[in-house]
Amino acid sequence: MNQGYQLRETVYSALFAALIAAGAFIAIPIGPVPIVLQNLFVLLAGLILGPRWGLASVGLYLLMGACGFPVFAGGTGGMGRLLGPTGGYLLGYIPAVLVTGLISERLGRTRFADAAAMVAGSLIVYGAGVPWLKFATNMAWNKAVLAGMVPFIPGDLLKITAGVFAAEIIRKVIK
Amino acid sequence: MGQLNLFTYIPSTSIAHDLDVRCKLCCLSLMSLATFRGGPVPLALITAMVAGLLIPAAIRPLTLLRELKFFFLLVAMVFISRSVTTGGEPMINLLGISATKQGIAEGALLSWKFVLVMLMGIVFARTTKPSHVKGAVQWFLRPVPFIPETRAAVMISLFLRFMPLILNQASEVSQAQQARCFHLEKNPVKRLVRLTVPLLKKTFQSADRMALAMEARSYSEKRTDPAFIRSGHEPLTLALCLLVLGLSFMV
Repeated sequence: MNQGYQLRETVYSALFAALIAAGAFIAIPIGPVPIVLQNLFVLLAGLILGPRWGLASVGLYLLMGACGFPVFAGGTGGMGRLLGPTGGYLLGYIPAVLVTGLISERLGRTRFADAAAMVAGSLIVYGAGVPWLKFATNMAWNKAVLAGMVPFIPGDLLKITAGVFAAEIIRKVIK
Repeated sequence: MGQLNLFTYIPSTSIAHDLDVRCKLCCLSLMSLATFRGGPVPLALITAMVAGLLIPAAIRPLTLLRELKFFFLLVAMVFISRSVTTGGEPMINLLGISATKQGIAEGALLSWKFVLVMLMGIVFARTTKPSHVKGAVQWFLRPVPFIPETRAAVMISLFLRFMPLILNQASEVSQAQQARCFHLEKNPVKRLVRLTVPLLKKTFQSADRMALAMEARSYSEKRTDPAFIRSGHEPLTLALCLLVLGLSFMV
């Protein structure tokens, strides 16, 4: 029984890692940072898999990217991308999925809790990504925020709203 | 979607097929780093190497263009946005928007890099069996503490299995929704939900079936891994990759 559970979680986290990667293929490039669906899948990984397995799936995704597979936004990959100007967002997925998973575990599975967990997760992604962008490109703070955060907020709000419904439905499917 | 055929393993006996998987994986990450760092000279070298590997892998340029048309569209968008947003001396002026010389050069370089990384991924995926990737990853992760290498390796081969599946199902779902007049929907949340939910549902169901099938076949983490077979070209290939990487840091 225990092994069956572990196997299912292993398969699910691999699936989520692949979803995050596939989400990167549906990207709209605007300025230095492209808008991507992948952060929706990162947050959903936290909600549905919980902190531990969510972390495993994000870790797997980043490992594949670091090895040079074209899984990052717009079909790029490689160690250089991970350490480049937009690397902060990618590395920020690690704490983001952890916190999203932990919050949703604590607050239970209500719509409000899901939304709160995803908002916290997105804030962490920006908390890691924007300062990284600033120091990597030597932009001024307000410019870094304008280029690396403001254009994505409407999209993120949409993604979070959609994510709440998606999480509810997916939980029914996999239970 | 087209990625399905481009990213799947096709048996053959080319140089890239015969290399030791561990060496191939090393070269892939070295080359992707070199691509990111490099200026035009190392990029030209890498392009020559990738082209040399693509030809025996029997991928026709036209097929490549057709299968990756969305990717190339994206690259074109990156190129245009770069050439318009970078400051410098204007070269082409169209409708009040001017593309600068520096912008065009930078955009071209960036697009070139994008295409190269994609091509390297394709060469690797086409010439390597997923089970061999698993074996190689396991070998690399063994000395790393806190990572259960067997499970990580299994997840990687599952990842490589799911990637094309998801892209395939994504296009299936969007076609099915278009048949139901989905493109007339104005509410952006509804649009997002109607695309992601069926996609997630479908992929989770297939993941469920996969887990069940693995369990039914007595899956366990203790199993015999494929042996690594060297072709003898490894030291030369690795040296070449290191040379290009070194060059990318200097030029």
